[in-house]
Amino acid sequence: MAIDKITTAAITDGTITSSDLASGAIENQSAFKNIIINGDMNQAQRGTSFTSNGYTLDRFTMDESTDGAVTVTQDTDVPAGYGFGKSLKVDCTTADASIGAAQYCGFTQFIEGQNLQYLKYGTSSAESLTLSFWVRSTKTGTYCVRFVKEAGGETRYECPIEYTISSSDTWEKKTITLSPTAGSTSLITATAGAIVNSNASGFRVFWTLAAGTDWHGTNNTWTSTSDRLSTSNQVNFLDNTSNNFYITGVQLEAGTSASDFEFLPVDVNLQRCQRYYFQHTSGSGKTVGLACFYGVSSVDTVMYFPVEMRSTPSIVATSGTGYYTVYVAGNGRTIDGSLSVNRVNTQSSQVYAAPAADTMGRAGLWTTTNSSASIAFNSEL
Amino acid sequence: MIINTIKKNYFDGEFVSYQITYVDSNVEKSVPLDEANTDYQLIKQWISEGNTVIDNGE
Repeated sequence: MAIDKITTAAITDGTITSSDLASGAIENQSAFKNIIINGDMNQAQRGTSFTSNGYTLDRFTMDESTDGAVTVTQDTDVPAGYGFGKSLKVDCTTADASIGAAQYCGFTQFIEGQNLQYLKYGTSSAESLTLSFWVRSTKTGTYCVRFVKEAGGETRYECPIEYTISSSDTWEKKTITLSPTAGSTSLITATAGAIVNSNASGFRVFWTLAAGTDWHGTNNTWTSTSDRLSTSNQVNFLDNTSNNFYITGVQLEAGTSASDFEFLPVDVNLQRCQRYYFQHTSGSGKTVGLACFYGVSSVDTVMYFPVEMRSTPSIVATSGTGYYTVYVAGNGRTIDGSLSVNRVNTQSSQVYAAPAADTMGRAGLWTTTNSSASIAFNSEL
Repeated sequence: MIINTIKKNYFDGEFVSYQITYVDSNVEKSVPLDEANTDYQLIKQWISEGNTVIDNGE
């Protein structure tokens, strides 16, 4: 039937019921269908430029181990007309034209296992997954995405799948479907293919930018051999400092087709990120909280998290002379040293530090007094 | 970031967290004693590689 035959006037109320729709006729329509968090690269609680390995834009972590170097930034270059505002950009700042056998570079999102039980991994009913994303790079050729089913008490399985960037410096949408039996294997559908049902990492998606021969595997085939980052066809993105790689609109969903990207309200997107990292305070002149002198040189406060965090978090805080001040009875008592946690749980934490001395038992207002002051909580995977 | 030091934090005489400092950085982490915390997992790995945690007691 031609699509223009289906008009409002042609449909009488009640003539189309759920029984008229074949099972699976409409795929991927559930809310929160996107397994990837912050796939539109909108959230950047840690900042917008990163030169070291580790977490960058929310939920995406860079792992570069070559003789080259990359910088990751949040960028406004996006595919036009699709509703995106931000992208993750990887810029090759130091070239490595010859990747050693044990060298590699790529970025990852780890996914909490208890969110993935509906994929039914570890059973014969395991679901296919479809990954879609927009990508733009000056370095064309074959790239790989590495899918990892984490061990989690069972066995770790991996599957690299190739995709091609065809045109230099041009946004292209890529769609990759991952079968639970990729390569005619039965690893995922057997018991050991189960995804851990806990707050630990259950699955990982790794976008490979370069990989030495130690890490090569077979395209689109599950294996129990660890660290299959790519196939031998993977390009070396780090071969020239003019190379840039942009990505946005990342979506991973159950099924064999890619649906439109699921845009979430910005506050919902932020809250989903805050389960793993929460930037409490940043910059000068910000309120940290009400504090009490537990001892003459010991001050305590309680910090609450906006959402329940994945696990009891670490505090990640800058420290230096005069970074924080507790104002007590008209006096400022500076904190020059470390901030530490105690009695921390997934919803709140006691935070203590050693300020200039005051009277034990006094209460005061803990504020930031340096532009480099920063307090965050980390429970990333 | 490269780990510079890790020391034990005590509060009221009880060992409550680890404090990590990094080379050439003003960022520090205080890490609770929780196996599910990935910073804690990294500390255990760092110790297993033969590194020594500073323990100044209370």
